[in-house]
Amino acid sequence: MLNDLIIGMAGSGGDGIVSAGESLMSAAAREGYYAILTKSFGSQIRGGESSCRLRIATTPVLNPAGALSVAIALNWEDFLRFGGELPVTSDTVVIYEQKTGVAPDAIPLKVRPAIVRSAPIEDLAKSSAGTLQAKNNVVLGLLCGWFGFGRDAILEGIRKKFGKKGPEVLAGNERAFAAGIEFAEKNPIDASRRIAAATGGKGVRRVTDGNEVCAEAALFAGCKFFGGYPITPATEIMQHLQRDIWKHGGSLLQAEDEIAGIAAVVGASFAGKKAMTATSGPGFSLKSEVLGLASQAELPLVCVNVQRGGPSTGLPTKPEQSDLFAAAFSAHGDSIRPILAPISVSDMFGVTVEAFNIAEEFQTPVIVLSDQEIAQRKDIIDPIDTTGFKLVDRLVPTAEQLAGGYSRFKLTDSGISPITHPGLKGGAYLAAGIEHNEHGDPTSSGEMHEKMNDKRLRKLNPLRQRRDLFVIEGDLNAPLGVISWGSVAGVALEAVRAARASGIAVKLMVPKLIYPIAEEIYAEFFASLDQCLVVEQSHQGQLHRLIRMWVDVPGKFVSLARSGANPIAPAAVLERLRELSQPLQPTAARRSQTKPLYRDDLRAY
Amino acid sequence: MISEPIDPGCGAAAASTCHVAAQGERGLAPTAPASGPAAPTAKDFKSTLKPIWCPGCGDYGVVTAIYRALANIGRLPHEVAFISGIGCSSRIPGYTTAYGFNTVHGRALPVAQGIKMANPDLLVLVAGGDGDGFSIGGGHVPHAIRRNLDLTYIVMDNQIYGLTKGQLSPTTKRGAKTPSSSYGSMEDPVNPLLYCLAYGAGFVAQGVPADLDGLTKMIEEAIRYRGFSFVNIQSPCVTFGDADNQVKVQKTRMKALASLGHDSTNRLRAMDLAQAYGEELYTGVFYRNPNPPQTYDAQIRERQGALKV
Repeated sequence: MLNDLIIGMAGSGGDGIVSAGESLMSAAAREGYYAILTKSFGSQIRGGESSCRLRIATTPVLNPAGALSVAIALNWEDFLRFGGELPVTSDTVVIYEQKTGVAPDAIPLKVRPAIVRSAPIEDLAKSSAGTLQAKNNVVLGLLCGWFGFGRDAILEGIRKKFGKKGPEVLAGNERAFAAGIEFAEKNPIDASRRIAAATGGKGVRRVTDGNEVCAEAALFAGCKFFGGYPITPATEIMQHLQRDIWKHGGSLLQAEDEIAGIAAVVGASFAGKKAMTATSGPGFSLKSEVLGLASQAELPLVCVNVQRGGPSTGLPTKPEQSDLFAAAFSAHGDSIRPILAPISVSDMFGVTVEAFNIAEEFQTPVIVLSDQEIAQRKDIIDPIDTTGFKLVDRLVPTAEQLAGGYSRFKLTDSGISPITHPGLKGGAYLAAGIEHNEHGDPTSSGEMHEKMNDKRLRKLNPLRQRRDLFVIEGDLNAPLGVISWGSVAGVALEAVRAARASGIAVKLMVPKLIYPIAEEIYAEFFASLDQCLVVEQSHQGQLHRLIRMWVDVPGKFVSLARSGANPIAPAAVLERLRELSQPLQPTAARRSQTKPLYRDDLRAY
Repeated sequence: MISEPIDPGCGAAAASTCHVAAQGERGLAPTAPASGPAAPTAKDFKSTLKPIWCPGCGDYGVVTAIYRALANIGRLPHEVAFISGIGCSSRIPGYTTAYGFNTVHGRALPVAQGIKMANPDLLVLVAGGDGDGFSIGGGHVPHAIRRNLDLTYIVMDNQIYGLTKGQLSPTTKRGAKTPSSSYGSMEDPVNPLLYCLAYGAGFVAQGVPADLDGLTKMIEEAIRYRGFSFVNIQSPCVTFGDADNQVKVQKTRMKALASLGHDSTNRLRAMDLAQAYGEELYTGVFYRNPNPPQTYDAQIRERQGALKV
C-alpha cells in the first residue's frame, strides 16, 4: 500500500485527460485525501495536447513532486511532448492506449518501467457508452480498479457531472467507468501499488487554487476596488472578484489596458479604499511607472504578479520565478516596494491579507509574487481558519491633527504620516508623482528630496524584523542550509525532510517576505552555515543574487536554479544536498587557472 | 436614478459632510443647502501656491474660470477631487484648494475613474494638456467616454509641448517648425472635438480664456452634465505658441456657437462644425445629449445595492 501516489496523464485535446484528473481530484477530496492537481496545455485555445499530474496522499502534500508512480498515455506523441513534466522511472507503472499499436516492450521511453500495461480505452468507451467522449471515465475505472480509489466517490462525481445531461448520457458514462474497473480487475497489477485508505477529513476539505484563494483573501482583507486587464495566468483573480466584490460595497474595473488598471487602483486608494490589481509578466512591466507613482505619493495598493515564463510573452501557461528582479527594481528612482510570496495555495490567503496590511500600514504598493503553479494548480485544502488574522487600516489623522493644519507628508520618526482622502474636511492636499515638501507642494530642493527619500525608505524598516514572515525548519546549528521561495519552497521542504531522515544535518529557510531583504534574519540563519543552497525556478537564480546584494553570505553559497517549465523535483534537491554534505574533494582535482585574456585585450587600445 | 450613497467615504468626518448625501445621485445642488455650511466663493478654491506658468499663459484664465464654476456649483473644496497628468497645464490641481492629484503623464483619466468608482459622491475634475490627453494618454479617452462616469475632462489645448520647451504636440499643425521638427511637421493634427464626439461623449464644448465669462459658464455646465463631459480650451502658449493664437487674437477670431444659432442637441451638426477645428475658432457647447444615459457610477450603486449581503 502507498501513502503517496503520483499519476501523470497525457492525451490530445478531446481525450478528456484534464477532466479525468479533475474528477479524480473531487473524489479524493470527498474521500478525505490531500492532493495537488497540475494541468498543462499546449498554447492552443482548443484542442492540442493536454496533460495533468495528480499527486494524492494521506498526509498534506507540499508540491506536485517528480517521477510518476503511474503514467497514462492516450497517445505517445502527446505524452512525449510533455517530456520532463511527466518523468517515468524504472519504478513507474505505465498504462497506454492499446490502439497505439505499440508492443509493451517497444514503448518509446528511455527507461524500462516496472510495469507496462496496454488497455483498449477507446474500444471500451465505444462498446460501453457508444462514444469516445467517455474515454475519461474508462480511465477513471482503470485507476479505480488498479490503484484502489473509492468507487463511490468517483461515481458521485460522475453523477454530479452528467446528471444534468439526461439519464442516457449518465448511464453511458457509468457503464464506461464500470468497464474500466472490470478490465483492471481482469488484468490485475501488484496490490502493493494501491493507495492506502484516507484517514479522516472526509467532506471538510475542498478543491481550490491560488487565484481563487487570492480573491477570497482580498475580500476578507477589505478590498473595495479591483482594476485589471485579462492576462494568463492571473485572469481568474479578476473573474472571482467580479462576482463578489459588489456584495461587499466595492467595485471592479476591467480596464482598457494594464496601465489604466493599476492607475484606477491608485485612484481608488487615493479615494481612501483598499484596492488591488493582478497581472502577469508583460502586464507587470507595463505597470512599472504607476507603481513608482504609488511609492512617491505614498498610496497603499496590492499588485499581484502571477509569474509565468518570460521575458516578453515567454511561456504564458508555465510557472517561473523570474520576475523577482522586475519586482524588486520595478520602477525608476530610489525606492523599495515590499514583495511577498506565498508558498502554497492555502498560504495565498494569509500572504494576500498580509499584503493589504503592509500596504495600508506603510502606505506603499506591495507586490505579491505568485506563480502559475500556485495560481492555477488545484489543491485539496483544509478550511482556512481566519480567527487569528488581524486587519490593518491606514493611519487617518485625528480631528485635532486636522484642525491644527494638516501636512500630508509630515516627517515623522517612523516615516509614516497620517493620510486623508477626498471628502475629509480639513485634509485636502496635493498628491503627486513630483517631489514635494511635507505639505505636499512641489519642490526641486535637494535637501527636501533627501529627506523624503529617507522617509519613504525608513518607514519600511520594521518589515526587516518580521520573523513571522520566515519559515525555518531543521537542525538550527547545521552547517548546511537551504533557502527556497514561492511554489518551489514545498519541493525544498520535502527534500530537506528526506535529507534529515537520511542523517544529513541541514536546515531550511523560506522567506515569504522577499523584499526588502531582511539582513538580520538572513545573518542569523547564515551564522551556523558553511554552505547554503538556494533553490528556485529561474535561469539566473534571482533570489540567490538578490541576497548577495544585501547580506554577507556563507563561503559556499550555491544556486540550484532552472528555467520555468523544467520542474525541480524533491529528488533533484536531495541529490544536491547529498553532494554538498560530502567532504570537499582534494584540491588537486580543481582546474588550474587559465591566463586571463583581458590584459591582451587592453593592449589593443 | 436617485439612490442612497453606499459610503460617502468621509470616514471620521462623515458628519461634517453629511449634506452631500442629501443631494441625491450626483451630490450636486445649485447652491449649498440652507442647513449646511455657507456656500463657497471663488476665492475659497484658490490655493496659496504660486503658479509656475509664464506671465500671459492662457492657463491663468482657465484656473480662474474653474474657481468661479466650482463656486457656482456650490460643492465645498474638500468634496472635489481634481486630477491631472503631466505638463504645464497639469500643474493646475495644486492651484486649487480641492484634493488634488498630479499623476503621471497621460494617466489622469484612469486615475480619476478609479476615484469616482471608489467614491461616487465626489465631484471629479480631470485636466491636462493636448499631449497628455491625445498623445501619451490618447488610448484612455475613448474608454473614459464609453464608460461614461460622471466626470468632467478639461483639456488645455495649446498645440505645443510647453514644459519640454516647444516640441510638436498631437494638435500641432502640419508643417510647423519646432525644436523637434526643424524641417516642418509631416503629420496632420488630431481633432479633439471630432474625436470626442465620434467616441460618443454626451457633452462636448470649446472655450477660450479670452472669454472668461463664457468659459466659466461652459465649465459649470459641463460639471452639471450627468455623465462624461469634455471641454477643450484653446489656451495659448505665450512662449512657444503661434502668434495668431494668443489671447488678443482669440478675441477677434472667436465665434460663439450660440450666436450662430447652433442647436447643441444636434450631434451630426456638431460634428460638422467640429470639422473646422484648427481653422475656425468656435466657442460654446457643440453637443449636449438631451437624454443622458445612466452613468457608470449610478450603475455601480445600483449593483452594490442589489447584491448587498
